[in-house]
Amino acid sequence: MSDLLANLALGFGVAFSPMNMLFCMIGALVGTLIGVLPGIGSVATIAMLLPITFGLPPVGALIMLAGIYYGAQYGGSTTAVLVNIPGEATSVVTALDGHEMAKQGRAGAALSIAAIGSFFAGCVTTVLVAALGAPLTSVALLFGPAEYFSLMVLGLIFAVVLAKGSVLKALAMIVTGLLLSQVGSDLETGAGRMTFDLPELADGIGFANIALGMFGFAEIVRNLEIPPEGRDILMRKVTNLMPTREDLIRSAPSIARGTTIGAIIGILPGAGAVIASFAAYSIEKKFSKYPEKFGTGMIEGVAGPEAANNAAAQSAFIPLLTLGIPPNAVMALMVGAMTIHGIVPGPQVMTKQPELFWGMIASMWIGNLALVIINLPLVGLWVALLRVPYRLLFPSIVVFCCIGVYSINNAPSDVLIAALFAVVGYWFAKHDFEPAPMLLGFVLGPLMEENLRRAMLIARGDVTVFFTRPISAVLLGTAFVMLVMSGLPMLRKRREILVE
Amino acid sequence: MSDGVTSSQGGGPNSGAPGNTNSFRGGIVVAVASLLLLLMTFSIASPTVPRVLTIAIGLLGVATAFGFIPVRAPQDYYGGIVLMMLAILALIASADLPGQRGFAFGPGTAPRLFAILLFGLSAAVTLVGITSVGPAIEKYRLRGPLWVLLAIILFAMFIRPLGLIIASFLTWMISIFGSTEMRWLESVIAAAVMTAFCVLLFVYLLNLPFQLWPQPNAFALLWQQLAEFFRLMLGPLLKYIGVIA
Repeated sequence: MSDLLANLALGFGVAFSPMNMLFCMIGALVGTLIGVLPGIGSVATIAMLLPITFGLPPVGALIMLAGIYYGAQYGGSTTAVLVNIPGEATSVVTALDGHEMAKQGRAGAALSIAAIGSFFAGCVTTVLVAALGAPLTSVALLFGPAEYFSLMVLGLIFAVVLAKGSVLKALAMIVTGLLLSQVGSDLETGAGRMTFDLPELADGIGFANIALGMFGFAEIVRNLEIPPEGRDILMRKVTNLMPTREDLIRSAPSIARGTTIGAIIGILPGAGAVIASFAAYSIEKKFSKYPEKFGTGMIEGVAGPEAANNAAAQSAFIPLLTLGIPPNAVMALMVGAMTIHGIVPGPQVMTKQPELFWGMIASMWIGNLALVIINLPLVGLWVALLRVPYRLLFPSIVVFCCIGVYSINNAPSDVLIAALFAVVGYWFAKHDFEPAPMLLGFVLGPLMEENLRRAMLIARGDVTVFFTRPISAVLLGTAFVMLVMSGLPMLRKRREILVE
Repeated sequence: MSDGVTSSQGGGPNSGAPGNTNSFRGGIVVAVASLLLLLMTFSIASPTVPRVLTIAIGLLGVATAFGFIPVRAPQDYYGGIVLMMLAILALIASADLPGQRGFAFGPGTAPRLFAILLFGLSAAVTLVGITSVGPAIEKYRLRGPLWVLLAIILFAMFIRPLGLIIASFLTWMISIFGSTEMRWLESVIAAAVMTAFCVLLFVYLLNLPFQLWPQPNAFALLWQQLAEFFRLMLGPLLKYIGVIA
């Protein structure tokens, strides 16, 4: 316990330095700024803003990215409430009651309850991340290469089983990502692999090129195909940001329930935050005395899911920070950012770079605070941004992404590679392949290969090592069971309902 | 990978009930792409596995074209085929790397392992495309993608010789043609504002070393850049097919 406090104190010491506070605040602000723009989800937002953090010191950059992540999440909820367009899969349920509230002139209350709920969830989860960080890390340090490999397999399988769409296609995407990660120099021998003798590929395919190509450019092109619909933008001024006493009393238990559900579900890989918000909504409906009134502007229907998705968004950091395994696409982007800064994500981060680890955890809390004190009062600005027509937005994003990609290495060839991945991403969308599992496979590829190689070397080429070592066997067994279960028709139906 | 992409664009441009013209087009594209892959296998040392797989895909393409295969879910069917071809391309590209030595993985082991795994999984995806009914492939709208792609490529061309300001402005102005609602005055103003914003952000706030205005020898540099890009795009093809020619 005293360890925990000492660690948190260290973290807050780092995070409260004026520069890092500034990075966190700017991150949350810019994240919301981009996140409220129509058609841009949090993955795209982070991918777009990734390049501008590269110039910062590692701790500052990661703190800023975390801020951007929360900001983007909150931006998604803002659009859900104000214009009934959830910027994010996680805020789909927020739109149900949130937009109804907005129609009744209570947009301010809905937005502030969303922010307060998120903040509360953030506070609780920050402590949870800190508390679970140390023990999980010490477990992870006991892992050998075989266990690590099996753990990564489990993580990837989990992500596939819980994500939406066909499991088979998602698996194919993961392996595509693994394969792409093999381009470049071999870690041990330095031999160029699948580089086609191009010096541009000697260091592998740049992570940012893939991320920006598939999530930046390809998204834009996809959005262009959606016919411009008459968006029901709220013309009324948003007033009365303060929720009433009754609002607060009604939503307090919902926030607590949402936080609990979110924190637990968020640790699981896959679409944690999405499932968490849906689960929270249905639980609120069950607990309510008036379940039939949901969908007509019930504040509980905003408070619960919003707390849940924020808690889940944050507890998703647990597997990343302790085990080095990204549970979803956003965390995969964080891994990419860490790698660019020379940090190898995993259990050793906490011991070798405690100021980074605890600083990031503390900054989560600051990021949540920033949402309440900066973003809420700026509602008017977000509404104005929502009115920017897409025809002016998308060329600006193209330019911004181009400069971003180019700025990483000052290499025009990087821009071309990103363009290639834009085409790939567009094609993926046409064939209903999810790009997120590919990104996960891409960032985990080198780590998986390294551990696989080591495990095989230690076991002197004996493949059974993955099944004879108990922890590894349990992990692989769980992965196998998950995969089989996802194929069962009964569960598949449930999954589809959840995704709907 | 590049040919995997181009083939996919034609790989069933829109809906495909079994045996119709779309199947014909899709199948032909698959067959032609596998012919290209087949050519590539002639320059590697141990071509048996990739060559056999390529021929199998080629035959599949021909069979599709002439209506022998009921394509019920074109999205999955062609998607799986393209990924299989990507796997073959990876097998070809990693063919010359040393494999396992004793207990130790060679540099080529993992790439080949992943490639074979991908081939198996995407073959299953293709199979699903035959056995179960699925949605047709959405129509490819060329306007948006082409203009945006052109804008991105021109940015890559212009950024060094012409500098950030001209490159950004032109990229903005070109990509807006991807939309159907372009208005000249508004666009020019918005492009100028965005350019100014980016200069402010990247050059003055983030202190990145960008060339702002055209370099004195811009024209020569532009040609150099163009030559570079051609090397980048044609390099893979030349490496494997140029040997034979």
